[in-house]
Amino acid sequence: MDFAIFEQYGPSLLRGFGVTVLCWLLGTVFGMALGLVIALIQRYAPRWVGWIIQIYIEVIRGTPFLVQLFVLYYGGPLIGLRLDALPAGLLGLTIYGSPYFAEIFRSGFRAVPHGQIEAARAIGMAEPAIIRRILLPLGLVSSLPALVNFSIILTKETVILSIITVPELMYQVSRMSTETFRYLEANLVLALFFWALVETISRIGHRLEARVTKHLIEERT
Amino acid sequence: MQASSVEISKVNKFYGPFHALKDVDLSIPPGKVTCLIGPSGSGKSTLLRCINFLEAYDSGEIRIDGDLIGYEVPGKRMSGRRLREMRRGIGMVFQQFNLWPHMTARENVAEGLIRVRGMSKSEAESRAGEALTKVGLADKMSNHPSRLSGGQQQRVAIARAIAMEPRLMLFDEPTSALDPELVGEVLNVMKTLASEGMTMVVVTHEMGFAAHVADQVAFMEKGELVGVDSPDRILHQPQDPRIQAFLRTYHERNSI
Amino acid sequence: MFSIPVFLESFGPLFWAARNTLLISVLGIGLGLIIGTLICAARLSPYGALRRFAAIWVSFLRGVPLLVQLLVFYYTLPVIGLDVPAFFAAIVTVGICASAYISEIWRGAIAALPKGQAEAAIAIGMSPVDIWRRVILPQAFSMSLPALVNELILLVKASSLVSVVGIMEVTRASQAQAATTFRPLEVYLAAACIYLLINLCLAVLGRYLEHRTAV
Repeated sequence: MDFAIFEQYGPSLLRGFGVTVLCWLLGTVFGMALGLVIALIQRYAPRWVGWIIQIYIEVIRGTPFLVQLFVLYYGGPLIGLRLDALPAGLLGLTIYGSPYFAEIFRSGFRAVPHGQIEAARAIGMAEPAIIRRILLPLGLVSSLPALVNFSIILTKETVILSIITVPELMYQVSRMSTETFRYLEANLVLALFFWALVETISRIGHRLEARVTKHLIEERT
Repeated sequence: MQASSVEISKVNKFYGPFHALKDVDLSIPPGKVTCLIGPSGSGKSTLLRCINFLEAYDSGEIRIDGDLIGYEVPGKRMSGRRLREMRRGIGMVFQQFNLWPHMTARENVAEGLIRVRGMSKSEAESRAGEALTKVGLADKMSNHPSRLSGGQQQRVAIARAIAMEPRLMLFDEPTSALDPELVGEVLNVMKTLASEGMTMVVVTHEMGFAAHVADQVAFMEKGELVGVDSPDRILHQPQDPRIQAFLRTYHERNSI
Repeated sequence: MFSIPVFLESFGPLFWAARNTLLISVLGIGLGLIIGTLICAARLSPYGALRRFAAIWVSFLRGVPLLVQLLVFYYTLPVIGLDVPAFFAAIVTVGICASAYISEIWRGAIAALPKGQAEAAIAIGMSPVDIWRRVILPQAFSMSLPALVNELILLVKASSLVSVVGIMEVTRASQAQAATTFRPLEVYLAAACIYLLINLCLAVLGRYLEHRTAV
């Protein structure tokens, strides 16, 4: 073990970690937003729109993330979509995650008892208000564990961005190890950073779950 | 309070090939209590849910104070906006309460006043408070449903409906999901409402309530309305053999 | 502009490379099944040390990205004197990674079996080995078949990552072709189509198995 290399590579590793966290955070937020829109469209749009969206979901879920990134980053310029590595990576992560998030939201919505929607209809609430006040809050709560789980899976997918030269942690670590041949230290860094990130996310997730389900759990006194 | 009347004529409802309601005719007079009784699967809940169009009937007419519900003219669905306007005058209470679990009792009652009646939050909350006091839950206003007993939850659901100042109340087996010792508190609230002259349609298995509170009792079986009459004549001197058979089973099951 | 002839011509060499994609995925899941079963047995064993080892194995392999595992295998092992051929390293990495997920699939299926079944077997005096062989495993296997097919779909997609260590599977072949034809859009879309085709076939198989076991 030689920790001296960290003096030289420490700053670039930290920068890489920052880019990793940024990619993960934005990819998760945008992917969730797109997934939510997809789930709502699937619930309310006419059937043929639903079919088109279903094809999108199957295509994205049936192909490797790496190939999607290649199409976007190397193939995009041919149809005028010229993106730098980082934005291409973010867009790729958003698209990649969206169908999984959409499925999570869809089953979350299905878990809302139909009677609670009917009760809102019976007092004359309009559909947008029902979505905003009943369907979303209750559906999001029941989706939360799966959302946290999938965003943890997404942390691992961010390393694939290094292949299209996004300067995230994996990219910096590979650079360090090819320049110094210190593979052991490099892998140790990767393992530690990922462990810390995943641990933090799952803790925040658990705390969030405990908070939002506080009133929903039956208390027998 | 102004009370609505309901005219149901020649109503049919199909679920695929299953004929759930067969040419049902029923007249519900204003300010009276009508109980719908009959074996399970007889179509009484379906009929009730057709009155506020939570369930779409396929043919026939249901008129509330003379206005057709669900359709502009027979065969042509009315707009969502118009349907929502009509539903504001109809309160409904469900077997499973269907309270919104992420809101307190007071918020459950205030929600409709804010979103549908357009009241300010403070006005809605004070109105919600009055409605909850009326059903005897003044001290439980800031509890979430998970902290209330079944009977209390159902009373919140009734408060949620009456806060909207309906002219007609529909009850879909309001006590069937309750433990026996909690049935009384809910029935008492319903009796008070009846004495104030509210038009009520109640699907129930509580024959005692039907006998003492109802002004008329309608018996349904296999999607057909078999008979409508005073509670005394339906429950104590039934003419139709189907009603006699139903009451015989009911008494056998409830004798100790 | 997108050229349909170029797109169609790309399929030829990619189909050939698809054999390697399938080979790595299928051998990977085979290896994963063997190791995963052992890990699951360790996880459910009465020995604390074994249980701890299995738990660490599962949480480590599920927590570390496959790409990292792959590079560790490929670059770190030679450093400590183990020289493994790339293709072999790829299959072993994929298989080891799959073993963590497969052992969890087993564990879930076994936990879902009604407890009364094992009790009934104990009551008629069956030995623990026979209970596992005759009662628990056959049911757990048919119950988890759909999940295993799903795992295979994940592996087909994950196998694209072994392109980084130079193995000529679909992704690597499409990279090579994009480099010579300068038509990355058509070539990578063709690659996406091949993955989609493989996975749709697998999904159909999975749905068939689900129906069959549901009866």
